Amino acid sequence: MKERSVGGTIFDSFNYLFMLVILVLMLIPFVYIISYSLSTPSMMKGGLILFPKGFTLDSYKKAFDDPAVLSGVFISVARTIIGPAAMLLFTSMAAYVLTRAELIGVKFFRKFFVFTLYFSSGMIPMYLLMGYLNLTGTFLVYILPAVISVFNMVLIKTYIEALPRELEEAAVMDGANHFLLFFKIIFPLCMPVFAAVVLFDSVNQWNSFIDTQIYNTMSPNLYTLQYVLYNTLNQINSLEQLKVQGQTEIGALTPQTFKMAITVITVLPIACVYPFLQRYFIKGLLVGSIKG
Amino acid sequence: MILKIFRHRELYLMLLPAVVLVFIFWYVPILGWIIAFVNYKPGISLSSAEWVGFQQFKSFFTQSSDYIYLLRNTLAINIGTLISNLFTAFVFAILLNEIRLRFFGRFIQTVTFFPFFISWVIIYSLSNALFAPSSGAINEMLVEWGILNEGINLLGDPQYSWGLMIALNAWKHLGYNSVIFIASIVSIPSDYYEAAEIDGANRFQKIWHITIPALIPTLIVLLILNSGWILNSNFEQFYLFTNGTNWEKIEVLDMYIYKYGLKLLNFPYATAVGIMKTFISLALIIVVNEISKRATGKAVF
Repeated sequence: MKERSVGGTIFDSFNYLFMLVILVLMLIPFVYIISYSLSTPSMMKGGLILFPKGFTLDSYKKAFDDPAVLSGVFISVARTIIGPAAMLLFTSMAAYVLTRAELIGVKFFRKFFVFTLYFSSGMIPMYLLMGYLNLTGTFLVYILPAVISVFNMVLIKTYIEALPRELEEAAVMDGANHFLLFFKIIFPLCMPVFAAVVLFDSVNQWNSFIDTQIYNTMSPNLYTLQYVLYNTLNQINSLEQLKVQGQTEIGALTPQTFKMAITVITVLPIACVYPFLQRYFIKGLLVGSIKG
Repeated sequence: MILKIFRHRELYLMLLPAVVLVFIFWYVPILGWIIAFVNYKPGISLSSAEWVGFQQFKSFFTQSSDYIYLLRNTLAINIGTLISNLFTAFVFAILLNEIRLRFFGRFIQTVTFFPFFISWVIIYSLSNALFAPSSGAINEMLVEWGILNEGINLLGDPQYSWGLMIALNAWKHLGYNSVIFIASIVSIPSDYYEAAEIDGANRFQKIWHITIPALIPTLIVLLILNSGWILNSNFEQFYLFTNGTNWEKIEVLDMYIYKYGLKLLNFPYATAVGIMKTFISLALIIVVNEISKRATGKAVF
């Protein structure tokens, strides 16, 4: 045990205090909405609460009885499963091809993809394109533009390049073509990097909000859970406004607990996969920084 | 050569979907830039639209003074965010490294990293729950304790907009941004610290003379590389937090493009503003990349 100076002890005390403040700032918003969502509306007098008042699951029952919420959950789950699956298949195939230095034109194709990381056409041309392709107002607008992720392509390509080449040489001797070689030999070896990119892609799909706002506002059956939450917040805010102006008695409607419940439902899946996310992400970031 | 291409037909086939999709969703819309140069209105065909050249580009600077407040907001919020994100992560990483209780340090890291993965809609919802003027928990509490007469309208009052956007960004990205600093601290050879101890250095001296100097290069690289993106805002964030009362201090270029394009349906004008933003951004990225290459030997391309 090292000797400790007075200054060091004071520093430690302040440092722990500082970290506790950070913890409070990070956790309080979540603790508050979870507690609120589990409370009985009539018992809420306002102010910050850390524990439910009059514990009840009513607002969750109400949320899951709401057809808009159910439809939102369905659409969000669908895009979170289909999007990353399609991304993995097509992005990893392309990444594999880009590792084949003997392929004619491979340098051109690498530039063709990487260019898109630094340059984009912007919102309006994209909106017009989606309209032109009749993708506006369809589920595919969530999936198709995300099938190829150039960022993930670069990650997967780097990973494949680091694999030992002897493994595939044996397969080539046996006369395997590139499809077989990729799906039978390379694909299973890439599981660690695949797990990471699929996880992040799923989080992105789940969290996406603005594509619904831009392309699908006219199709309520395609609203994602994020969008349903946004709509609920806005409706409740305008009711709030009316209450402030004294035009309505909000007590009977009291959807505050309802909006808290939908918020919790929307965060929950992220919280569930968070342990995996943290592990992969810190590893991924470190790999990136060593290379950089 | 044709023989070689034929021999690799499977590889080309595997690449085909990616090439087609990237072509359609990244390169084709660039052709759509042409509408910035014609008198295009929804409903008429592109070919019958009249060519107007750079008129739309000029009108951004001559028709109104919008560009002044747009550039002011965009730069103020993005530069503020960049500096505050890096500074908070820098300080946080150094202090976290001084936490001796391993499990506590790891717990802090786990908790601070979480907000990085939640959506802006959730952050909007949390902000509403805490800061709304009449029903927000913080305002209710302060009014109840008699500290305030009425709640502070953080979400609606323009004087708080810049600070709010910067603070929410720091909150969301603290854990994420600090990871890279923590990794740099871990990579400092431990004999530096041991040698300093033999010389009788205390903890502050070790932080000041070893840890901080070791992190400065990382800080500079991150600062330079990220400054290429200062015209690009996270659109979801600004879409959610911009409202009728605070817009003069929070409306940024991306929001303006959305407003003119998709709300007012002035596609040529909105596209022209978008094109200018894209080119200035690209130039910035190339310049800062070059600066970084010269100054530190590190670059993205």
